[in-house]
Amino acid sequence: MRERFIYDPFVLPFMLGFIFIIIYLVAGIINTIRELPYEDRKKLGKSIFSRKIFVSIKEIFMECLIHSRIFRRNRMLGFMHMSIAFGWFLLIVLGHIEVQLYCPDRVNLPYFPIFFRYFMMETDSTLKGALFFFLMDAALLMVLIGIGLALYKRINSRLMGMRRTTKLKMGDRIAMYTLWAIFPLRLLAESFTSGISGGSFLTRGFGLVFESFVSNEALIQPTWWAYSIALGAFFFALPVSRYMHIPTEMLLIVLRNAGIKSKRTNAGYGNIELYSCSRCGLCIDACQMSAAARLDRKTTVYFMRMLRQQKGDIEAAAQQCLMCGRCVQACPVGIDSCRLKQNVRRSESFLSPAQYRYLPPTETIRTDVLYFAGCMTHLTPGIGKAMQTIFERAGVNCRMMDEGGGICCGRPLMLSGQEKSAAIMIEKNTDIILQSNAELLVSSCPICYKIFNEKYNLPIPVMHHTQYIEQLIDKSAITVDHTGLSVVYHDPCDLGRNSGVYNPPRQVLHQIANLMDTRYEREEGLCCGGSVGNAVLTGDQRRKIARDALRKLTEEKPDLLVTACPLCKKTLVGAGSQPVEDIAQVVVKAMG
Amino acid sequence: MYDVAVIGAGIAGMEAASRLAQMGYEVLVVEKDGRAGGHVAGWDRLFPFQRNAANLAAEMLKMMDRGKAVKVLVNTTVADVQRDGQHFRIWLSDGQGVTVSAVLITTGFKLFDAHRKEEYGYGIYDNVTTSADLERMFASGKPVTTKKGERPQRVAFIHCVGSRDEKVNNRHCSKVCCATAVKQACEIKQMYPDAEVYCFYMDLRMFDRHFETMYLDAQTQYGVIFVRGRLSEAAESIDGRIAIKAEDTLMGKMLKISVDMVILMAGMEAAEETDKLAGMLKIAVGKDGFLNPVDEYLQGNFTREKGVFVAGACTGPKTVSETLADARAAAVSIDEYIRDGSEEKSLREEIIEKIRNKRVEIRNRRMKNEEGKSIEF
Repeated sequence: MRERFIYDPFVLPFMLGFIFIIIYLVAGIINTIRELPYEDRKKLGKSIFSRKIFVSIKEIFMECLIHSRIFRRNRMLGFMHMSIAFGWFLLIVLGHIEVQLYCPDRVNLPYFPIFFRYFMMETDSTLKGALFFFLMDAALLMVLIGIGLALYKRINSRLMGMRRTTKLKMGDRIAMYTLWAIFPLRLLAESFTSGISGGSFLTRGFGLVFESFVSNEALIQPTWWAYSIALGAFFFALPVSRYMHIPTEMLLIVLRNAGIKSKRTNAGYGNIELYSCSRCGLCIDACQMSAAARLDRKTTVYFMRMLRQQKGDIEAAAQQCLMCGRCVQACPVGIDSCRLKQNVRRSESFLSPAQYRYLPPTETIRTDVLYFAGCMTHLTPGIGKAMQTIFERAGVNCRMMDEGGGICCGRPLMLSGQEKSAAIMIEKNTDIILQSNAELLVSSCPICYKIFNEKYNLPIPVMHHTQYIEQLIDKSAITVDHTGLSVVYHDPCDLGRNSGVYNPPRQVLHQIANLMDTRYEREEGLCCGGSVGNAVLTGDQRRKIARDALRKLTEEKPDLLVTACPLCKKTLVGAGSQPVEDIAQVVVKAMG
Repeated sequence: MYDVAVIGAGIAGMEAASRLAQMGYEVLVVEKDGRAGGHVAGWDRLFPFQRNAANLAAEMLKMMDRGKAVKVLVNTTVADVQRDGQHFRIWLSDGQGVTVSAVLITTGFKLFDAHRKEEYGYGIYDNVTTSADLERMFASGKPVTTKKGERPQRVAFIHCVGSRDEKVNNRHCSKVCCATAVKQACEIKQMYPDAEVYCFYMDLRMFDRHFETMYLDAQTQYGVIFVRGRLSEAAESIDGRIAIKAEDTLMGKMLKISVDMVILMAGMEAAEETDKLAGMLKIAVGKDGFLNPVDEYLQGNFTREKGVFVAGACTGPKTVSETLADARAAAVSIDEYIRDGSEEKSLREEIIEKIRNKRVEIRNRRMKNEEGKSIEF
C-alpha cells in the first residue's frame, strides 16, 4: 500500500457536512441532558459507570445495527434494515482498521477512511490488502442489497409485511434520496479507481466492465465529488429528517437503561423519543383506527412528526387516539407514544372543587373485601350479578363500594387530561376505601383497576376480578366444572397490554372451557373500539373498529367470546351477533 | 308453476297473496315459521281501536284461502333464487324448485333483541320484560303479574329500546312503539286502576289520525305519567324491584324510582331473511338494513331488479294499516308488471289469456258454490 495524495478538494462537501453534524449532535446531547431533571441526570451519571452501560451497548448493537425487533415482526423488513445499518457500520469500522493498518499517520483525518481508495494505491497485492478489499466490497454489497430492497419497498411494501407506509415530506425525501445515492456513487467511484487502487470482486469487477466502454480515468474525479456531495448533503439534511433516529436512538437506549422515563412534560427524554422515531410506519398497520376505520393519517407516526416539527393541531392529534398501546407494542424503537400524547392532553384547566359538591358524602362501609363494579359494570349488570354470586358462593364478606352508582374511578378524566378533577375523585374514593377496613379491593373493570393500581397509593392490594377468581379457585373457595364450551379470550387493553395481566384469565378459562388460540393474543390483543381514551371518534368509526375486531377474534368460530372488561363486552355485543360474555359469567355457569 | 312467489306470510304477505289470487294469479307463499300470520297473530289488541290481533290474522288467512289459488308452505325458507330470463327459479329449503314470473318480498321485521341493551337488565332481572312479552301476557288472558305472581303497584314503560340509538347501530325510529306504549299503559291501568304507570320517552311520536286522542286519554282518563327522559340504567334490589335512573329533562332533575315491572319498548330491525334475499336478488339495502325501493315516492314497491317487489315492514317500520295498504299496492304493481311489463309479446298474451281463463274459472267455481249453498239451505 502506498499513499497517492493526502488531500483533494472533493473532500470539502463531506467535511463541511461532517463538521456540521458533529456540532449539531454535541449541542443536542448537551441540551437534552440539561433538560433532564436533576435526579435523572444523577441516574444517567451512575448508569454510565455501571453494568448498565454494557446492557446498553448490547442493545444498541442488537437494535440499531441488527434490528432484531423488526426481524421478529417481519424477516424481510428486518433484513432490509440490517443490511443498510450493519453494512454501513462495517464499512466505517473496516475503513478505520484499514487506515490504522496501512497509514496510521492519517488517523486524524476524518475523511481518510471514507475516501481511502482514492488516496491509497496497492503496490503489489498483499494478502491483508486483498482480504480487506474483499471485506469492504462484501459490506458495500450488503448495503446495496438493502438499498435495493428499500427501493422495492416503495413500490410494494407488502413484501415486507406492511400494508401501509408513511407518507414522507420534503426533508425526509431529500435525506432518503441522498442516502440511497451515497452507496451506488461509492461503488462507481471505487470501480473507476479500481485500476489504480485495486479492489475486490465488486469494485474490480465493475471497474473492468466499465473500462470496456468508458474512460475510467476521466470519471474518477466526478464520481468522488458526487459521492462526497451525497454524503455532505445527507449530513445537512439529517436534522430535519427521520434519519436523526440513527444517532438519537443510541442516546435513547442509554437513557432508558438508566431508568429514565418521561415525566409530566415531553422535554428531555420525550424529545429524544421524538427524534428517535424513524417514521418506519409499523405503527400504521398496528393502529386499528387505520386498519379498520381508515384513519391512516391519525396514527402515531404522524402525531410524532407534528409534535417534533411543532406544526398543525397537535392537541387534536393527541386526542385522536384509543390509547390502547398497540403502537407502543409495535414500535421497534420502544417509544412510549401514549405517554407523549398524555403529556399533550394534560390540561391545566380545572373546574373548581365547588363543581363537585354533588358528590355524595363519604359513607362508611365496613367489610373484608370491597368490590368496585365501575360505571361500565353498571351498564352491563350481568357481570355485577355474576360477581355477587361468586362472592356469595365463596362465603366472602364483601360489600359493593359503588352500589348506588358511586364515584368515578377518575381514569376517564385522567385520560382526557383533566388530572386535577380526577384527583378529587381519587381522594373521595380513597377515603371510602380506607374507612372500610377492607383487606382487598376487587374491581370488575380494567380501566378502574389500572388507576387504582397506579395512582391511588392504597395500603391494600388491588385485584381485577380475573385475578381474584383465579385465587378463589386455587384456594378451592369455589369449585368449577368444565362447561364444554369452546371459547376465545379477548385481552382488554387496560388489563393486558397496559397492566400486564395475561395469565389469570387464561388459567381460569383452561379449567372451565376449551380455550382457543387466536392471532390476537396477549401483547397483540386488539382494542374493542369502545376505548374511553378517545373522546373524538364518531360512533360510525367506533363501530367499524368494533366489527373488525369481532371479525378477527371470531375467525375460529368459538361458541363464546370471553372478555374481562365490561366496556369490551358492551362494545363487542353491539358489533354483531356473536355471543360475548365476561369471564365472571362463564365462571358462574361453571359453578353449576 | 306459479305466477308469483310471496316470501313471508305475515300480514303483508297474506294481504298481497289474497289480492293477487283475486286477480287470477297462482301464488306461492313461503313462510319460515310453522304458521302464517307473522308477529300480528301473536299479539293481543291493535291500536288505535283495540281490534283483536289474532282475529284479524285469522280473518286474513281465511280470505287468502278463499279462492284456493294460494299455496302456503310453512316451515320453509328460500335456499336460493336465480333469474332465468323473464322468470325466477327458486329453490326452497325442502329441496323443491319452482319457477315464477315475479317475487314479492314481505319478510317484515325482527324485534330488537333487548339483551343487547344490557344496562336495562333484560334477561338478568326478573321483572324486566319487553312490549312483545307483555302483549303475549295480555293475549293469554291471565292477569299481568310480577315474576313472583304479585300484582304490580308501579310499572315503567321505556320507549326507544333499540330505536334511535346509535349505540346499538339503530338510527331509525321504529314508529309503532310510542303508540303501543300508550296503548299498553292504558291497558295496565284498565287492569289495575290504582297502579302507577310511567312512560319514559325521548319524543312522543303521535303521528297518526287517532293517536293524539289516545295520548290525551292516557293522561286524562287513565292518569299515565309521562316523563321526558331516557333511562340511564336499571338495578335490581333484593326484593326484586327495579331501581331505575333517568333524567327528567323537562324538570331538569335526576330521577330515581323503584318500580315493580319495567317494560322495554323493543323496536324493529330488518329481519335476517331480508338481508339474505337482498343478497341473492341483488336489491338495494339501506344502511339501517331495510330494503330500498327504486323510488320511495312513485314506485314504493319496485326494486331495481325487474320482477322483484317489496311490501310491508321489510322496507321500514310500518303500522298494521300502513302495511296492509302497502301490500295491496304491491299486488297492483305486480299485476301491472306481469301484464304490461313482459317484453316478449307472445308471453304477455299467453299470460293475459291464462288470466282471463282463470278469472272465468273462479267465477264459475264461486257460482257453483253459491248454487250448492242454496240447495243445502
